[in-house]
Amino acid sequence: MLEIKGLRASIDGKEILKGIDFSVKAGEIHAIMGPNGSGKSTLSAVLAGRDHFDVTAGEVKYYGENLLELAPEERAHKGIFLGFQYPVEIPGVSNVNFMKTAINEKRKFENLPPLTAAEYLKLMREKMAVVEMDSSFSSRGVNVGFSGGEKKRNEIFQMAMLDPKLAILDETDSGLDVDALRIVAAGVNKLKKPDNAFIIITHYQRLLDYIVPDIVHVLYDGRIIKTAGKELALEVETRGYDWLIKG
Amino acid sequence: MSQQYKYSPDIPEIFRCRVPLPGTSQAYLIKGSFRDNIKYGDKLHLYGKEPLGFNLSVTPGAVVPETIQIISVRDSGNTGAVNFVNTCVFGENSESNVLLCTHTLSMDEFHTESELEITLEKSSRVNFVIMQNEHNSSSHKMKFNVKLSKGSYLRMNIVSLHGARLENIINVRLEEEDATCELNGIYLVDGIQEIRTTVNMDHLVPRCHSNQLFKGILNDESKALFSGKITVFKNAQKTEAYQANHNLLLSRKAKVYAQPQLEIYADDVKCSHGATSGRLDDLALFYMRSRGIGLSEARLLQQLAFVYDVLEKINNEPLRNRLQEMVESRLRGEFGQCMNCSMNCC
Repeated sequence: MLEIKGLRASIDGKEILKGIDFSVKAGEIHAIMGPNGSGKSTLSAVLAGRDHFDVTAGEVKYYGENLLELAPEERAHKGIFLGFQYPVEIPGVSNVNFMKTAINEKRKFENLPPLTAAEYLKLMREKMAVVEMDSSFSSRGVNVGFSGGEKKRNEIFQMAMLDPKLAILDETDSGLDVDALRIVAAGVNKLKKPDNAFIIITHYQRLLDYIVPDIVHVLYDGRIIKTAGKELALEVETRGYDWLIKG
Repeated sequence: MSQQYKYSPDIPEIFRCRVPLPGTSQAYLIKGSFRDNIKYGDKLHLYGKEPLGFNLSVTPGAVVPETIQIISVRDSGNTGAVNFVNTCVFGENSESNVLLCTHTLSMDEFHTESELEITLEKSSRVNFVIMQNEHNSSSHKMKFNVKLSKGSYLRMNIVSLHGARLENIINVRLEEEDATCELNGIYLVDGIQEIRTTVNMDHLVPRCHSNQLFKGILNDESKALFSGKITVFKNAQKTEAYQANHNLLLSRKAKVYAQPQLEIYADDVKCSHGATSGRLDDLALFYMRSRGIGLSEARLLQQLAFVYDVLEKINNEPLRNRLQEMVESRLRGEFGQCMNCSMNCC
């Protein structure tokens, strides 16, 4: 599904990603861990198409296509989703209208007619249940006045609505209490299918108690310094990152 | 809605102001000359002055929930400069809602200067909405002289959608205690359009409140000037006065000049003022695009979000929704198609 080779990216001349290689197959859950400032968020932003990073070398193939050439909205239409670490507030645009616009833009790309109001409402109710979201959320401005936990639940709700092939969740667990963490993780687990994949970026092992990864990568100073199975996450939890960095 | 729309025999029938609402009464002001006479029993009287302008008077104690709409129009064939003075007096304890729309019906170089003398008597409550939508060669200067008496409340919202050179001068005198003035505005300019806004908010006596929020979106080589001054006079203790002016610049060549000013001669007051100018937020655009929303739609959503809190202050919901649609259509560039059409359907 996704193949990353020798990916380097910088911002304002400062190199953040210094050669990243890994691939993701359908049905897999990858976890990317690493200390602050290692380049985790940059990697997710580059994959989703944020243009203030300059990709200086390497390639990213998504179903054989050069992903780096596509605009962020084209990537979204083709099934890439980025769950933000800090979801943006958009006052004046209700959750309902925001997602309706997003879904219908995707359907336009797929040559499908827009959803009818009834179809849309049904879909929305179904997906709100996935993250145990109260129906009053739908009429509120996107993320406006939401608590940290509500914002993250809204990200998972949006992901459920868009039904992506590849979801990248950037520190979705940061700032969550245990209940919110459980809801978010349950949402991800419900959405996992044999034909989709997740890249879960996290600082701590905590989220991985609820979402079991197939592969764990440790990112440090713009490079992946270790890749292993789920046991690596537990080892990081007990031993920290130092032994990997020094080794 | 359409069956309630009132046409004027003096202008092309195809023209219609798209703002009118169910339950509103409409009156035309054509080149300053008032054509209608509206009476709500003994409660309200709207009539023409000689030779130009109108008088609106609301009887003390009268409550008029219906919106009174005055449609001010300049049409071709009457292109000379014109100036006139209108008067509104809201009697003690009365409650009323006024909507004033200004239009031009052709690309002629109209020059219009109008004044509005607005007096709120004791404990009266007024919602006043002004919508300006004129062609790209029209100059219109509107001057509002507002006086608020004891315990009165004015909420005024100015939505400047389109026009070559619009100028709004708003002088507010809070003359007696416990009066409140909420003054909000949106201005949208593009091409080489210019808009000037001047506010003088005078707190003359203790315990009055004022709150101003003006937001503008500027594109191309347009210009906006905002000069707002709050003056708190020596005895006006316990004054609360706030002012904010925020501008969103969509192009490198658009210019905004903002002068927020505050003069305080009393020592027990709460006041603030400030102005900002900025551009669209890259991160928010990226957020929307990452959900599959294309760049131009994402830019539009962000502009609508920017002016949302000003529109939200219009408390008449159908009117607010209507104006929101017009703002959206304006920001989508749909008004540009009306440029050479005399039947400006707005």
